[in-house]
Amino acid sequence: MMKSTLPKDKIPGKMRIRAFPMTMDEKYVERIWSLLKNAIQEIQKKNNSGLSFEELYRNAYTMVLHKHGERLYTGLKEVVTQHLETKVREDVLHSLHNGFLQTLNNAWTDHQTSMVMIRDILMYMDRVFVQQNEVDNVYNLGLIIFRDQVVRYGCIRDHLRQTLLELVARERRGEVVDRLAIRNACQMLMVLGINSRAVYEEDFEKPFLHQSSEFYRMESQKFLAENSAAVYINRVEARISEEAERARHYLDESTEPRVVSVLEHELIERHMKTIVEMENSGVVHMLTHTRTSELGCVYKLLSRVGEGLRTVADAVSAHLREQGRALVTDTLHNTNAIAYVQNLLDLKDRFDHFLQNSFNNDKIFKHMITSDFEYFLNLNNKSPEFLSLFIDGKLKKGEKGMSEQEIEAVLDKTMVLFRFLQEKDVFERYYKQHLAKRLLLNKSVSDDSEKNMISKLKTECGCQFTSKLEGMFKDMTVSNTIMDEFKEHVLSSGLNLYGVDLSVRVLTTGFWPTQSATPKCNIPAAPRNAFEVFRSFYLAKHSGRQLSLQPQLGSADLHATFGAAPASPPAPAAPRRHIIQVSTFQMCVLLLFNQRDRLTYEELLNETDIPEKDLVRALQSLAMGKPTQRILIKHPKTKEIEPSHQFYVNDAFTSKLHRVKIQTVAAKGESEPERRETRNKVDEDRKHEIEAAIVRIMKARKKMAHTLLVAEVTEQLRVRFLPSPVVIKKRIEGLIEREYLARTPDDRKVYNYVA
Amino acid sequence: MPRSSKRTRSGAPTSGNDVLPGATSIDEHHHHKRSRNSSLRRHLKAEDTSFSVKKCLSWFKEYTSVSEPDVLGPEGMEKFCADLGVDPENVVMLVIAYKMGAKQMGFFTQEEWLKGLTELQCDNVHKLQNKLDYLRNLLNDPHIFKAIYRYSYDFARDKEQRSLDTEVAGALLGVLLPRWALRAALCEFIARERRYRVVNRDQWCNILEFSRTVDAHLASYDADGAWPVMLDEFVEWLRANDSSMPPAS
Repeated sequence: MMKSTLPKDKIPGKMRIRAFPMTMDEKYVERIWSLLKNAIQEIQKKNNSGLSFEELYRNAYTMVLHKHGERLYTGLKEVVTQHLETKVREDVLHSLHNGFLQTLNNAWTDHQTSMVMIRDILMYMDRVFVQQNEVDNVYNLGLIIFRDQVVRYGCIRDHLRQTLLELVARERRGEVVDRLAIRNACQMLMVLGINSRAVYEEDFEKPFLHQSSEFYRMESQKFLAENSAAVYINRVEARISEEAERARHYLDESTEPRVVSVLEHELIERHMKTIVEMENSGVVHMLTHTRTSELGCVYKLLSRVGEGLRTVADAVSAHLREQGRALVTDTLHNTNAIAYVQNLLDLKDRFDHFLQNSFNNDKIFKHMITSDFEYFLNLNNKSPEFLSLFIDGKLKKGEKGMSEQEIEAVLDKTMVLFRFLQEKDVFERYYKQHLAKRLLLNKSVSDDSEKNMISKLKTECGCQFTSKLEGMFKDMTVSNTIMDEFKEHVLSSGLNLYGVDLSVRVLTTGFWPTQSATPKCNIPAAPRNAFEVFRSFYLAKHSGRQLSLQPQLGSADLHATFGAAPASPPAPAAPRRHIIQVSTFQMCVLLLFNQRDRLTYEELLNETDIPEKDLVRALQSLAMGKPTQRILIKHPKTKEIEPSHQFYVNDAFTSKLHRVKIQTVAAKGESEPERRETRNKVDEDRKHEIEAAIVRIMKARKKMAHTLLVAEVTEQLRVRFLPSPVVIKKRIEGLIEREYLARTPDDRKVYNYVA
Repeated sequence: MPRSSKRTRSGAPTSGNDVLPGATSIDEHHHHKRSRNSSLRRHLKAEDTSFSVKKCLSWFKEYTSVSEPDVLGPEGMEKFCADLGVDPENVVMLVIAYKMGAKQMGFFTQEEWLKGLTELQCDNVHKLQNKLDYLRNLLNDPHIFKAIYRYSYDFARDKEQRSLDTEVAGALLGVLLPRWALRAALCEFIARERRYRVVNRDQWCNILEFSRTVDAHLASYDADGAWPVMLDEFVEWLRANDSSMPPAS
């Protein structure tokens, strides 16, 4: 008998005491192997209950110990292969058309179970032989053989794939299928990859994705053709959830992002433009019919793909631009500044609503709205004037029933529009004009609202913008103080004011909008003399200053008695007294009637010396307005005023009010020639501003290339207006001629600052 | 420079008897010294290469009048050109004026005359005639040409004004840049566009640069080239009116 002395305590890696080498009898090895082989086969037949784990383990251990690991390994391989090839594979092949998945799955389960047991028995070989020789361990070996001999065996592989795909396809069509079977198959494929998903991917996932892609391509086309955008979108969302759920439940989880991405590509990306631009149901339709939630769905869906949001934004932008452009270029209705601005505010509100509720305040859309408004607001060069008029309307007295907060809210929204204006300097000019009128004619609803508005402008544009406006306010306050002092002075010195209750406002020239020239006017004696009293008083306090009367800005309250002379019927008999509030020009006209009953236009022109355009306006308000305003009567009663036409007092004048305010026929905006004049002034100012900017920049830099200089200037002036490069160039040339700048001798494109 | 109709006597050597040996530079005082060394005189040939201030001045006197002895005016200029055998509009006259540093077109002061002709070492008409080719060749040097070109702006300008009248500018360009392909077009442009009554210095200098850098078909014209607006508008006008010009790229 053979003595087998097994060396005790083998300490791996340390010095070993080699046992006296014992060779193993070949027959003995053979015997052990037979034993094991038999056991394995029994296990594979599921007859493992009669086996002794301990004994088998010991045998395997012995073999490996005596250097027969190779034999054992090879033997194992053969046995497993044989079993899988002859038995298992055959079974599966027979079941191809009858319970295929079930059979395969059973085979797989059985295989796994047996391999576990086999591995346990051969654990020692795994630890030692396998490690040392870097071959696959027992379990993995089993997997590989199963994979190659069964799952990937020619027709089984194909059939597996087809079966799985068929099932998925059926489920997509709405049938109920055996999800568990699919799940098991997928799990099996994943495991067979052994630390990689390659088997699953190649044998199932790739073809699955391909099939999905085809399927959804067809479905999308069919569905788009038959349905509206909103319905399509809902359907897409549904399909995506379905596929995601499918992947999570019975495919492998890792497939979820891949299949979703296929859907996104086929259902969304390919058809982005079609969806968005669909007639009668696309984005434009949704915008026009305020389908907020539908737009939200579009947004959500298209945000899944790279260029999706851009496509939507482009469509929305095109629509917004069209709407905006139509608004600002609608010449028919664009005479009313208030309506113009209100429409724009409404448009902004509308799109802000979409931005918040459909587009999730997305930055892309925010920028788009801003740039669109900037685009069309500046298409109409009257926008600055209209904006100022709108604000003027809100700040004037008589604005029906708006609380302070409401006014504030509207003004804040108006400031948003202001930001979009390119020609802010034009706005400034008009704002000054309108503010001046409000202040001088006492039309402001409240000082606080005015100051509030100015501080908003200051925040936007800096103090340079608002310093003059603030100056105007100061003038008003100072004037009030002076008036108080004057009144005291008159009382204490007993000065004669010629029966005139005088009120003077002193305006500092730099702050207030300038007329091209102070219009002439013959002030009647009494007010003129009264003013002279004031003038002496003022100049005594402030020598070195000059005061010039501005008749176009003043107003007068006149005591008027109507019907004092015997009147012709149907005039009432008793004389009536009223106080009429008129402009200075109108006062000059009316006081002339104290001396004469009738005056022709020509006579009026000569006596008052008022410029024609102003005289005409004054007369129109006095003689050709509503009956309750008709202080004078014109003869003949034509619309035009000819030099020979006559005017006389309307003794039949009646009014319910004691105090009658004569409205001046004022144009809501400027007349065309006035507008041109304003535009010219703006251009003049801009020339100076450009030159100042050029000099400032060149003084600091000393030397600069042309294109850089133009860019710098543009950048600096951008908050006020956008200068064109040609205009800047012209200013540069002007400065060269006046020797502020010179071209460098080496490079004519570079300028030097000439100190 | 006006042309004279008469021909005066040709430049025969005057009875110049004051050739100071080695004297080549102007020295006002030498003018009055006389050489006692008459033998030297006899060694001098008819081909007299030395320069006599006195001769130069008396030559000057041929062109001045009694009422204005120190300034050569338009009439004298005509005569001078005729003597020289040169058209008053000829560009070489500009070169001569440049050498003299003449301030006003159509006039030479005595000082200018002397300065220029001394530098050229010519005290009579023949010598100057021999120098004409040399003077013309000066124009071939780009630096010198540029200097002459710039000089002619001030030379031709009405001293009461800062800028050059368009008409004069046009004529001057005809003299200075006769072979520039776009010259005629530019002159037509500035004559036509009434807003250009004058050409200022910067525009004038840039015209030369323009003629040197931009080709006749405007291919090398750079809209960002910091050209004066007048030239930008000229290009625009050319492109609009001349179908042979390719449109802006």
